Amino acid sequence: MEQDFVIVTNNPQVGKDLGKVELVDGSFEDVLIKVRDLVHQGHQLISHPIGASMRMLFSPYRSVLVGAERTQIKEVYSLTIESGIDTFRRSTANRNVDYVNADDYARIDLELLKEAIKEHGIIQREKIQEVQ
Amino acid sequence: MNLELRKIEIKDVVFGEETGLKEGVLTVCKQDIIDELMEDVNVKSIKVDIAKPGEKTRIIPVKDVIQPRIKVEGKGNGFPGVTSEMVQLGSGKVNVLDGVAVVTIGDIVGFQEGVIDMWGEGAKWTPFSKTLNIVVDIEPVDGLDPHTHEATVRVAGLKAAELIGKAGKEAEASIVDKYEMDDIFTETGKYPDLPKVAYVEMLISQGLLHDGYIYGVNSQKILPTLIHPNEELDGAVISGNCVAACDKITTYQHQNNSAILDLYKRHGKDINFVGVILTPELTTLEGKFRTCDYTAKLCRTLGVDGVVVSEEGYGNPDSDLLMICKRLEDSGIKTVLITDECSGWDGMSQPLADTTPEAVAVVSTGNVSHVVELEPADKVIGSAEAIATLAGGWEGCLQEDGSMVCELNAVIGATSEIGYHNLTVELY
Repeated sequence: MEQDFVIVTNNPQVGKDLGKVELVDGSFEDVLIKVRDLVHQGHQLISHPIGASMRMLFSPYRSVLVGAERTQIKEVYSLTIESGIDTFRRSTANRNVDYVNADDYARIDLELLKEAIKEHGIIQREKIQEVQ
Repeated sequence: MNLELRKIEIKDVVFGEETGLKEGVLTVCKQDIIDELMEDVNVKSIKVDIAKPGEKTRIIPVKDVIQPRIKVEGKGNGFPGVTSEMVQLGSGKVNVLDGVAVVTIGDIVGFQEGVIDMWGEGAKWTPFSKTLNIVVDIEPVDGLDPHTHEATVRVAGLKAAELIGKAGKEAEASIVDKYEMDDIFTETGKYPDLPKVAYVEMLISQGLLHDGYIYGVNSQKILPTLIHPNEELDGAVISGNCVAACDKITTYQHQNNSAILDLYKRHGKDINFVGVILTPELTTLEGKFRTCDYTAKLCRTLGVDGVVVSEEGYGNPDSDLLMICKRLEDSGIKTVLITDECSGWDGMSQPLADTTPEAVAVVSTGNVSHVVELEPADKVIGSAEAIATLAGGWEGCLQEDGSMVCELNAVIGATSEIGYHNLTVELY
């Protein structure tokens, strides 16, 4: 089955073995802005743009899954990425990016990305079976 | 199910030749713990220390906190599905070493926080400054992959709590709390006029350092599931999360889940508490839609009138919290949310990462961005690197006298979203 997602990331540990990669030469926020642009062009937002804890917002790296093809602009995706950017800016306004632990953040971001790909794969397989 | 939690008041903890309990003093044989935990081939070394309330001691980075217990009647010692054979939990008599906690530490990644200060300003913010803490520092063998490392540390803490809990086997309890609840139909027969209320407990379920476990099953792998409240009070739910220090639900907090205990207190008086739904907080949007739909469906199937929902973490789980709220309110089920807020140093910013107009009853358990000053410790149990991470939050947060200014999100259990913590709320 052809992969239906693209990984938008600035994480140097994310390899092409995981799928198509849109490498962002920039910060965590730049990744979110790239995701926003793609969502506004009609790409599906597959994984949530921000993590599940404050600590992961201080990471230098972030990886987000979006749909490979333009399909339709959906309000829920637009709202989610816009509020994700807003949350990121509010939560990190007074904080330094934690570059000292950059390698560890890259590793955990990679591990969480793999889990997101697995989770997405399970859902996609279910959908295919439903159609059949 | 019928569960008795028999609390044995522990006044002090000391090291000694043999683990045992006499006149409220718990003696712990350090070598017994080391020998037991070193049986795991993935463990390189174990250090055991004690931290008592009032001592100028800092523990960092905390992985988990576990309450030592032993079941004295009925099946299910240890943590079935993880450290012992699988049995149904939720019934029997359990001796609880009240006032004691096993605290596990050890760097899995360098950015872990999780501080417990046993004295001063820091102590005000964490409930685990008031427990007699047996701190277990677990160093794994070299070259271990991070998943195995996490599992090694998680299981070592559970085993240590199980071993220490055995000291309470013959002890007399000073308080006996009884938790008895029959099936939904029987309870509803007893209280036909009381509103039926369910409790939805959300668990971070997103991968390494972001997981929860139910009878050893990673909650990432489940659909939302119904569990008897006694099962959780008896040790069925275990923490595998160690990045959200202030609002991770430690295993200790699952064992003493305040939301469950409070709902139990009102069961048969002004509500009919019908049970707990454990809901995974997934990472994909489709996954979130599925679990939120499924959670609301379970609540409708139970025919409840009201639901209390607690969150774990901050950020993308806010979306799940509010989607569950919207689905329940749209179904005519009154919904109360328990969450902490990230509302800036001044407390004036938007508190959650998401909003919905249906969220009209929300209990805040505190502002994770609230800034506190931690003075230098006389003794640090754990890692100097973790303190450096804590002290590097922003320019100027490490002060000339060695004290640090940090946000509450670094302090274990400071804004517990199940309400097991030191803060309270005021109704305006």
